[in-house]
Order: sequence, then structure tokens, then C-alpha cells
Amino acid sequence: MTTEAFWNAYSNFAIIAFILLGIIAVLCLLRAIIGPRTADRVVAINMLGTVAMAIIAVLFVKLREGYLADICLIYAMISFLAVIVLSKVYVGAYKEKKKAKEEKENGNN
Amino acid sequence: METINLIRHILGCGFISLGIIIFFIEIFCVSKLHYVLDRMHFAGTGDTLAFAFTILGSIIINGIDYSSLKLVLVLTFFWFASPVSSHLISRAVMKTDPKMEEHVKVYDEEESKKFIEE
Repeated sequence: MTTEAFWNAYSNFAIIAFILLGIIAVLCLLRAIIGPRTADRVVAINMLGTVAMAIIAVLFVKLREGYLADICLIYAMISFLAVIVLSKVYVGAYKEKKKAKEEKENGNN
Repeated sequence: METINLIRHILGCGFISLGIIIFFIEIFCVSKLHYVLDRMHFAGTGDTLAFAFTILGSIIINGIDYSSLKLVLVLTFFWFASPVSSHLISRAVMKTDPKMEEHVKVYDEEESKKFIEE
């Protein structure tokens, strides 16, 4: 296999990989929409971030552009940060709701 | 050189395909299971393995250079960050789900001692 044929073959493979990874991303998005709990949505968003990183990694080799590896790293960091913030906000909102409910019950009594 | 290119192509595309197959298994299991902790378990383990295979395939195709080193860095960061994310999500579930006992049996100290003795 010559070098040119090698890259052509990989380009064809990458297109199929993009389609399959795109299908997986859509399924993750559907899971995030369906839910039903907030934690299910956060798990789905976490998975979606990983699939996006895999797509960027495959694209990086197809285009042979070094900066895409940096973008993949930044995406990993932002995805991690998003999960941290979402879980913290989720717990905070739940506690506030619980506190407001308790105060309301105490007020009624 | 031509043989090496062929081996690189087969190995690289094989690893990426394996990663995609594991992603599909993961999304199937996440849809099939009902409780969020079960889902999170599959999502965490599946993500780790599938992403590792995808990155490994990309590195084999790309060859050894500084860009591949960046991909190794991405994988290392991901392997550190993904368990932390799973831990945070499970802690959030534990704090906020009032019906967790219905899905997950939590043993107290005496019960767990009996469990170990048996």
C-alpha cells in the first residue's frame, strides 16, 4: 500500500466513522432529551462530550492538522467542567427547593 | 514500507472500529437500563474503553510525532477526569434521590458484618 493509497483509504474509512459517531451522538442527545431525571441528562451530556472528542480525534488524523489535538484537549477540559458545574447546580437547586418546602411547612404550622 | 502501511491501516482502522462498536454497546445499555446509577456505571466504563481505542487507532494511523503526544495527553487527562465526573454525578444522585433505597440496598454496619460472616 503506497502512502497516497494509505491516506485515501483512511479518508474513506473516516467518512464512515463520522456517520456512525454522528448516529451515536444523536442517540446520546435523544437520551438527554428523554431523561427522565436530571442526573440521566447529565450522564447523557457527559457521553455526548466523549463522542464529540472521539469525532475530533478522527478528524484530526483525516485532516492532518495539529491544532485539532489542542481543541480535543480543550473540549475534554470544558466537558469535565460542565459535568462538575451541572452536578453542583443540581444538588444546590435540590437543597434550596427542600429548604423552601420546609420553611413553608413550618410557616403553615 | 508498503507492508508497514498496510499493517498500520488495518490496526488503526480496527481499533477505531472497535471503539465505535463499544460506543454502540454503551448507548444500547444506557437505553436498556432504568436506574441512573446503573446507567452511569455503563457510561463511565464504556466511555473510558471506547475513547481509549479511538485515540489508540488515531495514534497508529498518524504515526509517532508531537501531535500524537498531544493525543496521549488528551487520553491521560480523560482517564483522570472521567472517574471524577462519574463520582460527582453519583454523589449528586445519592444526595438528591429520596427513593434510592428502592433501587440500591444500602447496608448499615451490623448488616454488613452479617453479610461478610455469611
